Amino acid sequence: VLLAFDVGNDLVTPVVSGAIQGCIYGLLGLGLVLLYKGNRIFNFAQAEFGTAAALTVFACQSGSKFLPVMPVGLAIICGLLVGTGMALATERLVVRPLFRQPKVTLVVATAGVALLAIAVEGFFAGPQPTPVQPLKQGAQEWGSLRITYQEMIIVAVLAVLALATVLFFKYTATGTAILAVSQEPTATSLVGISVNRISALTWGMAGFLGAVGGILFAGASGTIFPGYMTAFALIPAFTAAVFGGITSLPGAFVGGVTIGVLQQLAGTNIPSGVIPSVSAVVVFGVLLLVLLVRPAGLLGKEV
Amino acid sequence: MSTTAVSPAATAHESPSTGPSLAGWVARGVVYAALAWVVLMFVPGTKNYVDVAAEAAIYGIVGLSLNILIGYTGQLSLGHQGFYGAGAFAAAYAGTVHGVPFALTFVIALLFGAFVALLLGLVALRISGLYLALITLVFGLTLEGSLFEVSEFTNGGAGQPASRPEWLFESDSFYYFCLAFLAAALYIDWRLVRTKAGRALLALKENERVAEAFGINVTLYKLLAFMLSGAMAGVAGALFAYAIGNVTGNDYNFFLALTFVLMTVVGGLGSRVGVVLGGVLFASLDFWIDDVEVIHNAVNTVFRTPNMQQYAANFIGAAGLLLTLIFNPGGIAQQLSPLTRWLSGKPFSLHGDKDSGPGAVEGSSARA
Repeated sequence: VLLAFDVGNDLVTPVVSGAIQGCIYGLLGLGLVLLYKGNRIFNFAQAEFGTAAALTVFACQSGSKFLPVMPVGLAIICGLLVGTGMALATERLVVRPLFRQPKVTLVVATAGVALLAIAVEGFFAGPQPTPVQPLKQGAQEWGSLRITYQEMIIVAVLAVLALATVLFFKYTATGTAILAVSQEPTATSLVGISVNRISALTWGMAGFLGAVGGILFAGASGTIFPGYMTAFALIPAFTAAVFGGITSLPGAFVGGVTIGVLQQLAGTNIPSGVIPSVSAVVVFGVLLLVLLVRPAGLLGKEV
Repeated sequence: MSTTAVSPAATAHESPSTGPSLAGWVARGVVYAALAWVVLMFVPGTKNYVDVAAEAAIYGIVGLSLNILIGYTGQLSLGHQGFYGAGAFAAAYAGTVHGVPFALTFVIALLFGAFVALLLGLVALRISGLYLALITLVFGLTLEGSLFEVSEFTNGGAGQPASRPEWLFESDSFYYFCLAFLAAALYIDWRLVRTKAGRALLALKENERVAEAFGINVTLYKLLAFMLSGAMAGVAGALFAYAIGNVTGNDYNFFLALTFVLMTVVGGLGSRVGVVLGGVLFASLDFWIDDVEVIHNAVNTVFRTPNMQQYAANFIGAAGLLLTLIFNPGGIAQQLSPLTRWLSGKPFSLHGDKDSGPGAVEGSSARA
């Protein structure tokens, strides 16, 4: 009995921390799903919206020659504005001119946006990692299980945003318009819906979600540098989105949590001597399996 | 560039159908001779920079390799650092740990690159388009995170040494060695496009189902494209291993794969000359920015702070990609097409020729 209890405890911690990390993947995945629904593309710049936002928050909090020191709330608003603005600029300057090109060209372009963003972030922040404070210090403990307040904030924010997006697509005319544009842009514009405005809206929402994800992720991991989110969260987020079915909003959430938990379990149970960087291999395995066995994903309806 | 001014005069009084006059051929001969002099004589003479030139040649091979997948077959590969690194590790491991002769390490790198690419190609049979792009990306990352970190290959993390034989010690002899491989890759690419296999690949890019209806074996040619591309990248990786002398996993990261895609797109998808030039440009970007006085000063006036200078090359590369995609989908190849057309014996014209037949495919579209 004692042994079983020990094993149980060993499992709870990685599962919980994996699930929380998975929430961030889900948040980024939500943005990816949104853009896939709206534009039928994969956005490789999604994670970099988050890095830019997190770096902005840090810069606003610490202040500089040109920037007054701001309170946390204002800094976060600035970060969200930067992330959203970046997405809007991407839509206007890169996606719209290339919209009639093959989708793969657009995808390469979004990867270019990510690289450009990393360079511009580097202009301001430099390559060295910046230490980041969590939004709220401290943690709650239940036995051996320890959850920081930052992690609780992550779960709460994700739950609210996921619910909001689902309701948005289900019950608002604008949500329906986004789906209409993704399925038949020409017909949609014929019934008087501005394709450009819908596209901008979709990107703005995706940028906002990315920014939220970046700010939370940086706070939880305690560090940020240019390219941070792309390096650590983009691929799991893609896997989450594909796992849940690339068109399903709740699917991205479920996928994110699943990936996070699997990563943590593999990381804690498989010694790194056997496979170096286990978590990367786990992500690849899941992605490959889903694409080969059930390309529609867990909750997706179409491919 | 003075040669472009000469050319209209040389070709003005000839009809397009009969080909250039004697003077026209002489003018072209002068340009070819000048190019050959730069590549074969001038560059090796610049003792300090011949290493950069060798790397440029290696990137040229990678550009050709990636072009087979993206440019001809229309399969986006974001995991090319996997093939490249696989070649590098295979060559270094075989040569250093098992004492395989130098020449044979290239065969091993070729086979290993082709094998790794075949695995990915098998996946590509079932998955296409954006999903495939995602798979290639994660595939490269996985190789980077697993195979390139196994301590047996990396010499316990210190990096696997790869030493050149004595006759290649000198930088300029190694440069010629790389050039020979680039020439071979160019030849293979040229033969590929001119044969049934090449036309089959182009057909796959346009429409797989139509291609199949015309009797093209989609499975076979897709796998062929992947293996050929992987083999080329593997050999390029082996060359790179010998160029730097030590193979560590960090050198083959995701950003390298992105650089490969960038240079191929900026060079001009589907154009042999373009992708090689794109590779040369991106391999030598740091050199131009750091070591050429005029450019160095110009860059430093635009990018003032040390942080900015550190990211200047990244910025220029990424901005170059976006500008290319939006304003100039044919890349460098499209810009140079009047010149390259003239060099191939056609009259000089700043406007694209509509009637160039199958050759029109080259550099004409950024489809992938």
